[in-house]
Amino acid sequence: MTILLKNQTLHLHPNKAIFWENKKILFIADLHLGKAAHFRKKGIAAPPALFEQNIQNLRQLITHFHPVRVLILGDLFHSTLNIIWNKFEAFLLQFSEVSFELVKGNHDILPEQVYADSILTLHQPPIIIEPFILSHYPLETVPEGLYNLYGHLHPGVLLEGMGKQLLKLPCFYLEPTQAVLPAFGAFTGLALVQPQKGDRVFVVLEDEVLEM
Amino acid sequence: MTRKEQIEIGSRWFQQKGWTPFPFQVQTWKAYLQGKNGVVNAATGSGKTYALLVPILLEFIAKHQKKKKIPAQNGLQAIWISPIKALTKEIKLSAEQAIEALGLNWKVAIRSGDTSSAERAKIKKRPPEILITTPESLHLLLATAGYEDFFNNLKVFVADEWHELLGSKRGVQVELALSRLKALLPNLKVWGISATIGNMEDAAAVLFGADYKKDNWKLIRSKIEKKIDIQPVLPDDIERFPWAGHLGIFLAEKVLDIVNDSTTTLLFTNTRNQCERWYQELLALQPDLAGLIAMHHSAIARTQRDWVEEALHEGKLKLVVCTSSLDLGVDFRPVKTVIQIGSPKGVARFLQRAGRSGHQPGATSVVHFVPTHALELVESAALRRAVARKNLESRIPYIRSFDVLVQYLVTLSVSGGFDALQIYEEVKKTYSYESVTPEEWDWCLAFICTGGTSLDAYDEYNRVGLYKGKYYIVNKAMATRHRLSIGTIVSDTMVEVKYRNGSKIGRVEERFISGLRPGDVFMFSGKVLELVRFRGIEARVKASKKKRGITPSWAGGRMPFSSQLSEELRHQMTLIQRDDLSSQELKKLRPLTDIQKKRSGIPAENELLIEYFKDREGYHLLFYPFEGRFIHEGLSTLIAWRISQQIKITFTIAVNDYGFELLSDQSIDLETVLKPGLFTTENLKEDILESVNAVEMAKRRFRDIASIAGLIYKGYPGMQKSTRHLQSSSQLFFEVFQQHEPDNLLVKQANEEVMRFQLEENRLRSTLDRLTELELMIKSINRPAPLTFPIIVDRLREKVSSETLRERISKMKLKIIR
Repeated sequence: MTILLKNQTLHLHPNKAIFWENKKILFIADLHLGKAAHFRKKGIAAPPALFEQNIQNLRQLITHFHPVRVLILGDLFHSTLNIIWNKFEAFLLQFSEVSFELVKGNHDILPEQVYADSILTLHQPPIIIEPFILSHYPLETVPEGLYNLYGHLHPGVLLEGMGKQLLKLPCFYLEPTQAVLPAFGAFTGLALVQPQKGDRVFVVLEDEVLEM
Repeated sequence: MTRKEQIEIGSRWFQQKGWTPFPFQVQTWKAYLQGKNGVVNAATGSGKTYALLVPILLEFIAKHQKKKKIPAQNGLQAIWISPIKALTKEIKLSAEQAIEALGLNWKVAIRSGDTSSAERAKIKKRPPEILITTPESLHLLLATAGYEDFFNNLKVFVADEWHELLGSKRGVQVELALSRLKALLPNLKVWGISATIGNMEDAAAVLFGADYKKDNWKLIRSKIEKKIDIQPVLPDDIERFPWAGHLGIFLAEKVLDIVNDSTTTLLFTNTRNQCERWYQELLALQPDLAGLIAMHHSAIARTQRDWVEEALHEGKLKLVVCTSSLDLGVDFRPVKTVIQIGSPKGVARFLQRAGRSGHQPGATSVVHFVPTHALELVESAALRRAVARKNLESRIPYIRSFDVLVQYLVTLSVSGGFDALQIYEEVKKTYSYESVTPEEWDWCLAFICTGGTSLDAYDEYNRVGLYKGKYYIVNKAMATRHRLSIGTIVSDTMVEVKYRNGSKIGRVEERFISGLRPGDVFMFSGKVLELVRFRGIEARVKASKKKRGITPSWAGGRMPFSSQLSEELRHQMTLIQRDDLSSQELKKLRPLTDIQKKRSGIPAENELLIEYFKDREGYHLLFYPFEGRFIHEGLSTLIAWRISQQIKITFTIAVNDYGFELLSDQSIDLETVLKPGLFTTENLKEDILESVNAVEMAKRRFRDIASIAGLIYKGYPGMQKSTRHLQSSSQLFFEVFQQHEPDNLLVKQANEEVMRFQLEENRLRSTLDRLTELELMIKSINRPAPLTFPIIVDRLREKVSSETLRERISKMKLKIIR
């Protein structure tokens, strides 16, 4: 699904990412890597295998779009350090031509040194790449002329049809001055958004994105 | 001393008390003294306790008659298993009376979840002669070092209320414990006490295991029968009585009339929600009941429940509004009247409740049936016929419950290790595990040692290790953790509800309380409460001045119709069709059934009613097999799936005990759809598995299984995990096992449990066979009829679809939520 926003061409991808064609930047948000491992440590058993799924989706996006930068809009890692971090670092090193950058979110609480030791570039939000302003939380006021892309929310919508049909799906949710990306990570919940007139909602299916 | 002389001692004691032993009691005494095992089939309050207690004492007397002084401290002689804690006190009292009267020097002790650790230590140090305990507590004993010595003198094992244990995994726990005890004590006698169930023989087969085939046991039936009189509470104006609903509050005034006419009344409701609402309503209608009315359900604080039970015994209460928490166990003599609100859904449960009144031998138990909606009156008539024909439900025993088995193995590893080969031989002799293969056994051992193939990288799952030929727990922490999680009842995380000063009110499900915000008002334990704060597993509240609040709805409220009651219901429908209205219920219902006949039809036993109509919601297709909710759940999905294989379509499905609805957004050509093959049993299993929600059901079942098997741990006391987290982690396990370890026995067990208990494959098969034979009574209707209405208003729906997501979405729009 390709849309025009602020005169820029954006691809909304079913792997829950936005590719900004003009600047070759890939946006993703809310990976929550290591969440399963984190739960296990707390004594809540959660088996592995989710990480592989996340990584595979990201690899697909990179080989498909060939971005020069990958901008992660927060909540890359779910909590304190565990083995998944090392695996993720190893994965990043496979793409030396890509710059991986993180706009910090509320879950990104690893020690500074850990980020410094990795090839990730760290940003304190918000950062501006005109005409976009990027953050983890939605900005309360968006500066004139800019458009805010953010994460954090894990947005979803309810669809209804005849015969008492109901469906809950993740979505890209576009308001006049800002838009939220669906959560990239598997094993994350959905928060229902309440679209107003003039908003645009793009639901994410298995292998396509549809505007409602 | 001859057997005759022994029995005379017992009879003499009975005579002193002014009693005459019933024939079944004497038969039991004889059989016991002959050294036989057995099952006593007798109802609560019929003298079943003394049927077994007396010969246990008589045998001891005969053995020690020559001694000058009756010896004390004889070690544990008898284990008495009771599923209900409330019952244990009464058994102890009965036992102590008999012991004293017969001049013995025996001690009786109770060991249950409520027993303090000091008391437990005392029991261990100086074993009582009779120990009254629960299946869980018994397994805890097996988890203590040196348990073999504790059981050294044991003569008999009694499983009381065995019919209750039989259909649950607690019954499997009893089987396993017995297998161990029988190996330690080859001469151990085993007895069960059971109310009448549809499969009495199975009760014996499960209890005795491999010994069932030996001819050393007896089934003794008490011939005492209670007469039961079912009196429906009829609405004055049936035409204004609602067609759907489950509360029945409209008849509250009439219920009060019955209460006021009697001394002490038990009012049975089916859910705790219903219980709270009725309590409020009756008290509001008749405020002078305050102090004479009480409530009893399992979420209410133990101390308050004890108080209610005590007050009932003493005849201080006029009315107790309760749930199944008072179905079983203790008999309350002052209770004169029993009222049942809504369908009891099963004949046995109804009998149990009815039996709470009319205690004098030969007295008739009167039970008043209060319908919650018009058609429930048919059930009153159906119950009467079922009771007259003794058409009672069977209890389906659990088999091959690997979760309970692995828990048991860890238990044995905690108390000093076990020899795998020896335990395998023992376990094979139980009913539940007779078919376990050596490969499956090895899987269980691997599972407790490493967590099995998909988990062996994680030390959390290395629980047991092999050392010099025996399996031991790996460390002390793991042993403690295991002891704390022994048991098979997996409940939702409960939140303690307390006043601000800390006094306890009761426990409510976390799911309910986490949906409230401070300041919200809710009704609980008969009080209107305002939430002050909720943190961790504790909610602080204060009394509210408001009259009403929301009522917690607890899980498990929806019980399905039993197959027996379903069959009786179909018979009543046939009577209605033929205008054979001899019962007062059917006479009263006449105006309503006439509407059903006019708008649609009433099916006889040889017919299947199918209704079809369109309204602004879509196209409704309704089937009425009258088989009960559980069967309809499986059947509706199956039928929807089979139809969706012929045409591209999406259905949402609603079910109740009478029938089910397939609702769609497109019109359906009945002639194409209702082909003879629709109800075939061919490819049944495959079709069920295809129609998606079998997997969902298995996933939900897996939560309990994973918890019992020790895969997920509820946490140490005081730091329990919330159910939400348990649920999500058990689902992840399920998915990982399905992907990476398709032979995982726990996943297989979840699937088998769904087939056996939820979809009831056997019953589904015979239902389909029955439906195939029926004549279709197809009605295109203009407006919903009385049978239609309760189904179509149900909003809890399953879905079956053969359309792609894209096709479905193209017809949908965003739902606006406020």
